[in-house]
Amino acid sequence: MKLLRDAWLIAAKDLRAWRRDRTGLLFGLLLPIALVTAMGFLAKVLYGGGGPMGRTDLWVADEDRSEASADLLAALRAAATVRVRPGPEAEPLSVEEVRRKVEDASAHHALIVPAGFGEELAAGGLPELRMIRDPGRRLEDTLVSLALVQAYMAISEGRSWPAMMGRQMEALGLEPEQAQAVVAASESVRALIERFLPGGDEEPEAGGAEGGAAAGTGFDMSAFLTGMVPVAAEDIQPPGRPKELGYMQAQSVSGMVVMMLMFGLVACGSTLIVEREKGTLTRLLAAPVSRDSILLGKLFFSAAVGLIQLSLLFAYGELLFDLATFRDPVTLLVLMLSLTAAVTGFGLLVAVLARTQKQAEGVSTILILVMSCLGGAWFPIQLFAVPTAVEVIMRLTLTHWAMTGFQNMFFHQKSWHDPATLPAVVVLWGFALAAFLAARAIYHRRLASAS
Amino acid sequence: MAADFQLEVEDLRFRYGSREAVAGVSFAVRPGEIFGFLGPNGAGKTTAISCVCGLLGGWQGAMRFGGETFRPDLRAADRRRIGLVPQDLAVYEELSGRENLLFFGRLVGLAGAELTAAVERALELTGLGERADDRVGSYSGGMKRRLNLAAGDLHRPSLLILDEPTVGVDPQSRNHIFAALERLRDQGRTLLYTTHYMEEAERLCDRIAVLDRGRLIGLGAAAELAEQAGVPGADLEQVFLRLTGHRLRDSA
Ligand SMILES: Nc1ncnc2c1ncn2[C@@H]1O[C@H](COP(=O)(O)OP(=O)(O)OP(=O)(O)O)[C@@H](O)[C@H]1O
Ligand SMILES: [Mg+2]
Repeated sequence: MKLLRDAWLIAAKDLRAWRRDRTGLLFGLLLPIALVTAMGFLAKVLYGGGGPMGRTDLWVADEDRSEASADLLAALRAAATVRVRPGPEAEPLSVEEVRRKVEDASAHHALIVPAGFGEELAAGGLPELRMIRDPGRRLEDTLVSLALVQAYMAISEGRSWPAMMGRQMEALGLEPEQAQAVVAASESVRALIERFLPGGDEEPEAGGAEGGAAAGTGFDMSAFLTGMVPVAAEDIQPPGRPKELGYMQAQSVSGMVVMMLMFGLVACGSTLIVEREKGTLTRLLAAPVSRDSILLGKLFFSAAVGLIQLSLLFAYGELLFDLATFRDPVTLLVLMLSLTAAVTGFGLLVAVLARTQKQAEGVSTILILVMSCLGGAWFPIQLFAVPTAVEVIMRLTLTHWAMTGFQNMFFHQKSWHDPATLPAVVVLWGFALAAFLAARAIYHRRLASAS
Repeated sequence: MAADFQLEVEDLRFRYGSREAVAGVSFAVRPGEIFGFLGPNGAGKTTAISCVCGLLGGWQGAMRFGGETFRPDLRAADRRRIGLVPQDLAVYEELSGRENLLFFGRLVGLAGAELTAAVERALELTGLGERADDRVGSYSGGMKRRLNLAAGDLHRPSLLILDEPTVGVDPQSRNHIFAALERLRDQGRTLLYTTHYMEEAERLCDRIAVLDRGRLIGLGAAAELAEQAGVPGADLEQVFLRLTGHRLRDSA
């Protein structure tokens, strides 16, 4: 009984302290709430309503300009997995223009409808389409393939289904005669279906979402679908990029690096609070050194740790994944410095604002997780169609700019002064500068008010 | 008057928000003396010292050092004239004793042979011996106290301020610290010394200032204080209670 009573005494004391500890509450309650809210909201925005997955951009150049090609584009616009660019009202682009877009990485898939497409389709053939694509965008490739199959079926009103099946059979190794037999069989099945379904309102391949699941069983849905629609693919990728490097991989490696750096450097900045709590700050303040030197010391400490951490993580990532990390050392260094500066600024800001070490930990954890999520460190949020408000918030996070910089370096093989990367570098330094100045002002005000 | 006093404090006032912790305190420390700061908890000793060390800005009043205006809160060079041994242990537990001393030595501007000599002298003062290269986290309370003291005196400042340097240590460590302080006095160093222990103050201090509720309520050598308090010949403990122990006096 005494044991239980004593235990309760201790527990009650701890509960009382916990209730008084706003940071503890923040950490224990608000963090999960914030995360659930952010994730739930995002999931709603990303996956709600608009189909099983987000839409990906598909650029088109229509060389045929026939009724059939217009139908194909209209069908693609109706597809759930792609967003056809340019829009229906905008000026159409030429083949050269869309190719340039893929080359400079402002597009990853460009569909070309060759001249003669309509005629051949009317003749019952399977006219070939052309695709200029970035082979590293595998996820998007699946989305585009799904949309193409859907659109192709829609415009041929199912007539090309047998021919498409035949193509696949041949590709899978059937003799042409056998394939012919399958085609004939498919024809009769189609005729049968049409008789019983006069509306002919078929839902082709609605199981797009199962594509991923099927892939898990060893059957590559994406390859199967791509095979059904005759597309001549032309791959364009920067010469320096490792063949195996996919967009998602580059994204997740950079993302984890960016997130872990934030955790690491907030801990560095927090040593300022630890010194205050342990009393050693008294010694530093009484020493004949300027107040700024103390803050600057923390800045250097944090920056040094940041650069060491980044170097180690990238070296590790390189060993593990073959990212060609050190292909462009200058760009790597510029990005590392910019990111370290921005995150150091963030850490110092947390350190001068927080009253206690625990508070710093709690607040920064929430901020880091939310920023990581919104900035694309967890998954490529930038590929999804999000409302303007979310887009604006995304761009306010330093993670977004860090991710932009690293994706441009790793995946698009761009240098730090490329027009696509330079803004990220500038914004990161802007973050850094603003954070340093704010941290310094708050630090001095706190010292003056002496608490 | 420049040579008569080292540190002069005139009508010093400091408030934390609305609480006036130091409410008009004046005193002056003579070169080569040990000046005692006595007072019950919350009297304002640490606050007054913090103003003198430059830890707190925004105080009112005037300070002079060697006859010149003294603004330790604004000028780093002024802070160098003072060495502080804080009331709370202020050493890095993750570092060794020697590393701590090296760091604090560099912080006050020592380098090269001067730094090495200062650290050796400090290690001798602390009596850490072969533990000098162990992590401070593994030291006993007394060892940490001694290190805390030595870290404030590395550059032999004109005025060494000690805020309760003997709190929570055993008699051996206390005697060690005492011996060290007496040695400093014999070298002609000037010390400002805060304590709750009357016998410490009586034994060490040339003059004593008694603080209570932010005000100075007595100043002088122990015997003078006894006369001021109207109990001539009494020991400091009695004088102190006479001066500060309101309730006791009321009930007597
Ligand atoms: N940071 C602070 N914020 C607000 N009030 C403070 C702060 N530090 C001290 N005080 C108050 O100022 C008064 C003087 O405190 P101070 O620490 O200077 O006393 P002290 O004489 O050093 O006491 P002790 O013997 O306990 O060390 C006390 O009432 C204390 O509560
Ligand atoms: Mg005190």
